[in-house]
Amino acid sequence: MFISLDQHDGVAVVTLDGNLDAVTAPRLDDLLKEQVGQGQKRFVLDFAKVGYISSAGLRVILATLKDARQRDGDVCLAAVQANVRKVFEMSGLTSILTLCEDADEAVKTLRE
Amino acid sequence: MKKLELTKEAKPENLPLFLGFVDLICGNAGVEASQCGDVKLAVEEACSNIITHGYAGRTRGDIHLSGHREEDRLVVVISDQGAPFGPDDAPPPDLTADWRERQIGGLGWHLIRKVVDDVSYDKAGDVNQLTLTIRVKEV
Repeated sequence: MFISLDQHDGVAVVTLDGNLDAVTAPRLDDLLKEQVGQGQKRFVLDFAKVGYISSAGLRVILATLKDARQRDGDVCLAAVQANVRKVFEMSGLTSILTLCEDADEAVKTLRE
Repeated sequence: MKKLELTKEAKPENLPLFLGFVDLICGNAGVEASQCGDVKLAVEEACSNIITHGYAGRTRGDIHLSGHREEDRLVVVISDQGAPFGPDDAPPPDLTADWRERQIGGLGWHLIRKVVDDVSYDKAGDVNQLTLTIRVKEV
């Protein structure tokens, strides 16, 4: 998986490309924890190029969501593909996650 | 249809090998790509549990993975010699709690149950055997 990080107006935009599984999730976890440690509390996770997620990826997202909201921030997931959305739905996470059409909309949502 | 089998050491670095082998199993059994994603998810969750919990505290152990088609079903069997732990041992996660109360973790067995049609666990001697059965969707 390729992971890249950009900052847009105080929002951390993390672009993912590949499978978010037990092998790759720890790398994303390290990056997000580092950002949280630096005081970041607004995250966009761009899922446009993610076709697979397992519970290891869900754990990272949920942990980051809790960290962010406890500091009055949030996490927005952008451009989630059908296969991945199905796993979020099966896990009951769509009721607590903020999903956006694309990364631009997600950044706007977090800035409001 | 031929049964495909793979045995590799149970360690995180080998997960891609197991998941790549699921692609072979699905191709051999005529399972289309999106359903193969479900099979991969179930196999990843089961193998991750074995690596993280089954062999916890042991220096090494193996996972044996096999897959074959029986009529309209794909049968995947995952065997190991770690600590016994079957699907009935996993408490169901609370999927309705708000974000503050939501547990981080505990979703692996839940996902396995959601994506396969049947899951059964047997123990023969010191070997744990988890059998996943998936009804193959006709394309």
